[in-house]
Amino acid sequence: MKNTTLWAVVIIIVFFGILFGTTAFYIVDQTQQAIVLRFGNIISIKTEPGIYVKTPFIDNVVKLEKRIMIYDIPVERVITSDRRTILADTYALWRIEDPQKFIETLRTVEVAMTRIDDIVYSHARDVIGNYTFPEVLSFQRVAILEDIKNRSEASLQDFGINVVDVRLKRTDLPQENTEAVYERMKSERYAMAAQLRAEGEREAQRMKAEADREASMIRSDAQKEAEIIRGTAEASALNIYSEAYSLDQDFYELQKITDIYKDSFNNSVLVLPNDSPLLKLFYEVE
Amino acid sequence: MAEYEIFNPNEEFNEEGNNHEGRRWRNIIIIGVIIAIAAYLLTGIYQVGPSEVALVKTFGEYKSTAGPGLHYHLPYPFQSHVIVDVRTINKVEIGFRTTSTGRAPTYRYLTDEAEMITGDQNIISIEAVVQYRVNDPEAYAFNVIQGYDLVKSTSESVLRERVALSNLENVLTTERDRIAQETAERVQSILDSYNSGILIQNVYMQAVTPPDPVVPAFDDVNNARQDQQTSINEALRYGNDIIPRAEGEAQRILNDAQAYAYEQVAQATGETERFKALLEEYQNSADITRKRLILDSVQQMIKNAKLQVVSEKGDTLNFLDLSEIIGGEAQ
Repeated sequence: MKNTTLWAVVIIIVFFGILFGTTAFYIVDQTQQAIVLRFGNIISIKTEPGIYVKTPFIDNVVKLEKRIMIYDIPVERVITSDRRTILADTYALWRIEDPQKFIETLRTVEVAMTRIDDIVYSHARDVIGNYTFPEVLSFQRVAILEDIKNRSEASLQDFGINVVDVRLKRTDLPQENTEAVYERMKSERYAMAAQLRAEGEREAQRMKAEADREASMIRSDAQKEAEIIRGTAEASALNIYSEAYSLDQDFYELQKITDIYKDSFNNSVLVLPNDSPLLKLFYEVE
Repeated sequence: MAEYEIFNPNEEFNEEGNNHEGRRWRNIIIIGVIIAIAAYLLTGIYQVGPSEVALVKTFGEYKSTAGPGLHYHLPYPFQSHVIVDVRTINKVEIGFRTTSTGRAPTYRYLTDEAEMITGDQNIISIEAVVQYRVNDPEAYAFNVIQGYDLVKSTSESVLRERVALSNLENVLTTERDRIAQETAERVQSILDSYNSGILIQNVYMQAVTPPDPVVPAFDDVNNARQDQQTSINEALRYGNDIIPRAEGEAQRILNDAQAYAYEQVAQATGETERFKALLEEYQNSADITRKRLILDSVQQMIKNAKLQVVSEKGDTLNFLDLSEIIGGEAQ
């Protein structure tokens, strides 16, 4: 009997020990922060990890995430200052900075996300609306994001949320605009193709014309050279003739005329009159 | 003690039986408790893989790091651990997903994710791979939650930002590598600003192409480039053909002219030499040479003539049908 009683006491002590341990102590993890509530009132806030004491059964501990969380905001249609609609896919990185404010205003991460959604989207709309489409697209993007981030940060401070960053993942055009862009890109390409072909043709024509010109110049140069050569030769010939013939012009004439006689009257009818000196011997015979 | 010496089989049996029974239960409970405590203590054993480290927390607070191997820490609720893979290189895919790995991996193309707008407001399709690993396990485990999502969103955002700074032509060609490199640097600096403990190892550009509907137009430009070259080559061929021909022709014209010139001069020289020779004869005996020349020519003339007619006072000519003779011969 004595032993049984001892055992019962031990078991009861252990049971109460565990019960007390689990209700009087709480552990805050490295990744968490804790708020101790007593009947709904905030008693204390622990942001450092470790083991802490609370009043058993009376104090209630709510643990909140301390790490950076990503909230991917659904794609929204936003209109830029040049009246173009873009699909903005933003996401926010956030952290619970002030657990007290957070628990007072939002209580849970789910509620916080809807609030972040509302606020970031509203600021994104406002800020992007001040910029033109090309600005949003590229060179003003950093400034835009900074602006959205700062505004969101200011708005969410009251909820104990720190906005670490707001970034634009995609800034796409709506489907119908995308089609238009494709069409424009196609037409640009086809125009470029046409230009390339025409340039090729132009170059080819130029080269052909140049070749023609060169060929014709080569020929004309040769022609010219040939004429000069001919002329020079004819002149030399003339010179030779005149030098020789001027020795005796009478004899030249005689010789030339007799040559002409020799070469002429080919296949012709030659009529010799009776009294031709050529026939004078005939008459002498008679 | 004397009373125990009295033999009482029933009593002895009962007492012995009770004693035995009680001892046995006690032993079972003790063994049970020992086993329970041992099992509880054994929950503190943990294993760390070759590419991992374990962060050991005492009452939730980070205390130490353990490398690969079998380790022990105090069981819950005193100590706990988080395992972080620090060596495995993780991969984020942008614009596509690997649907099956192995010898012949298959991919799925994600149009929405791949298509980006360039600075000149064209659309380009980019597939990229971002490789990262954890280089600061403490920061990674305690500062951020969704490490993969963080790398993915940041990379996607930065890549789009960077692509929007260049125009289509450059993204397709010269700036490809630079964009990958600059994206890696920028993503790293952003992740550092979150104190995420993530190290970007590389950003690899995969396929960088025009969007599918525009591909035929791009192909046409490439064809046009070929056509352009073809036209030029044809013109070159034409030039290569006609210029040598012209040169040949020019050579022929010149040779003809030279031949003509030579002939002219030669003829002149020949003729004049003949003339001079005759002149010498003539000067020796002018009258007879003169007569001879005239008669020779008359002789030749008569020989050449087809028909010689001696006319008596020119009458005979009337009866000759000249046309018949000349015409008949001409036919």
